[in-house]
Amino acid sequence: MWYQVKQELIQSTTKFLTELARLLPGMVALIVALLISFVLAWILAIVVRRLLASFHFDERLNRWGFASLREWSPMNSPTRLASRTVACMVILAGFLIGVAAFDAESTSLLVRNIFAYIPNIVGAMLVLLVGGIVASFLARSVLIGAVNLNLQYARLLSLGVKWLVIVLALAMALEHLKIAPGIVDLAFGILFGGIVLTLVLAIGLNSKELVIKSLERDDKEASGENIEEPFRHV
Amino acid sequence: MEVDSIPQQTQEKTTQIESADLVVGVLADLGKDGIAALSEALRTLPGSPRILVLQRDPVGNASADSSQTAQENSSPSLLPWSAVGPDPLGAPMQSISIACQSLFSVSDKLGARACCFVTSEMESASPEWICRLLHPLLESDFDLVAPYYTPRALQGLLNTSIIYPLTRSLYGKRIHNPFGPDVGISRKLAQKILGTYRNANASSNQMHPLASLAPVAVCDNLQICQAYIGARVYPPTDWTSMSSLVAQVLGPIFLEMDRCAPCWQKARGSVSVPVRGECEPPPPETGTLDLNRMAETFRLGVRDLQEIWSLVLPPATLFEIRKVSRSTAEQINMPDELWARIVYDFALAHRLRTINRDHLLRSMTPLYLAWVVSYARELEAGGATNVEQRIERLALAYEAAKPYLISRWRWPDRFNP
Repeated sequence: MWYQVKQELIQSTTKFLTELARLLPGMVALIVALLISFVLAWILAIVVRRLLASFHFDERLNRWGFASLREWSPMNSPTRLASRTVACMVILAGFLIGVAAFDAESTSLLVRNIFAYIPNIVGAMLVLLVGGIVASFLARSVLIGAVNLNLQYARLLSLGVKWLVIVLALAMALEHLKIAPGIVDLAFGILFGGIVLTLVLAIGLNSKELVIKSLERDDKEASGENIEEPFRHV
Repeated sequence: MEVDSIPQQTQEKTTQIESADLVVGVLADLGKDGIAALSEALRTLPGSPRILVLQRDPVGNASADSSQTAQENSSPSLLPWSAVGPDPLGAPMQSISIACQSLFSVSDKLGARACCFVTSEMESASPEWICRLLHPLLESDFDLVAPYYTPRALQGLLNTSIIYPLTRSLYGKRIHNPFGPDVGISRKLAQKILGTYRNANASSNQMHPLASLAPVAVCDNLQICQAYIGARVYPPTDWTSMSSLVAQVLGPIFLEMDRCAPCWQKARGSVSVPVRGECEPPPPETGTLDLNRMAETFRLGVRDLQEIWSLVLPPATLFEIRKVSRSTAEQINMPDELWARIVYDFALAHRLRTINRDHLLRSMTPLYLAWVVSYARELEAGGATNVEQRIERLALAYEAAKPYLISRWRWPDRFNP
């Protein structure tokens, strides 16, 4: 009996060691792939940073109207954001290549699927990025315009516009990622409708005062009262 | 800007005229009688120059009449000016810019000694004042004759608050209406501005010829004078497009400031510019003074635009603005020193493109309105007779704050009080 137990133990240990030995090259390959990708990422990040710096990328972005990208960037520098994004992508690619080195069918299938999914992720990230930039640009435009028109609910209006665009971008990004498309459609409809309804109610309730003022002004004009003001600007 | 900028219709008509000594571009609606009186007045100019008058013709109706007039009377010749149609919605400065460029091109093509741009209507019915802009060009070889309108307390406020004191402190010349819009220009100056536009390429569509006049004339050491031409009738305020107007006027001025930085950084103090003619007493102010609306916009700006202003203005300025906003409309007082620094900071942010330029200029409107409230309140308390003294005090504040501008301009990151 003791002999049989001993045999089984030896067999399982041998099996474990054999499996481990089979995995070892893969693990070494993963570590090597990671090391190489780290070095490559570092070099590429430096190259991208220098290239963009020589191109005055930050200033050019500002000039092209993407000043709000600064707020989203590390150390307020879109150049750093770009170089770090490139570095992260190289490290991720290195990791996936390293994982694919494991001689297991399921692993390589997983890696293949992940690689096939990468364009969706990149697309969704782009949609989110552009959505964020457009949202803050429009929010700022609406805020300044509303303040200059003397609207008391300027901030609310601006926030409403911002969230409308962000929700739209988020829904588009999730659609791109193919994550529960049915639920996303439904949730988007509810959220978008909710924001519009909130805005309509808020403006409707706030604009009571505006309508009263406008009617008072019309009354004054009708009664012939001189409301001409003397200011001329240009 | 080449002959392309001359509209086809005008181009065809001008080919019939080989040359002219003077070209007068009339954008203002003078009417038939006004044009006849103008022609009569132009005939009295010394030396009997050959004159071409371009008259605004947005619909093309006037062509037949005017060409007939051109044939009947040898001088001045009248031509319809199809360079500008009706003002594009919310962009009145754009049509003035197009017309001005067209005028320079036509006068350059005809080899005219000088040209004159007329966009305003005056309180006086007779258009003889236009000749006052032309006399110094013909008799004394001046290159720029800027208008000197009868100073009025509450009119031309954008000029009073920003354009005049800023131009004076930057370029060191006391030109009271550097942005015109009614001006006399020599051939030399017109050609220099055409050259500037050719070199500017991409940014030339954001530039405005009227904004370039004074800087180019000063920086190129050309002869400048002013002419009293009476009280101008200013167009009524459209509050819905106020911020757009501020952006359209200040944008080209700040652009010009950026372009001429090497020139204005050398200028210190200011000198007066000769004035021709006699000043008329200002007509009485009419209308009801209501400061509440403007004060309310300013307070709303302080409440909601802080995050934008904080990108442009230093903390000390923001603190002072908040302090000003706590007063009631009757007590709002924006010190001249503070206002001058605000204008300089916005000019710098425009240069650095800290935020989108249109957003930047529009966000300045509530601050400008606060200055208007403060100024109007002060004049009301002190009487309207002090207008010129009040404007002089503001201009001196701009001059005193110029070292602040130069420091920030040269070291925008390092010098941030």
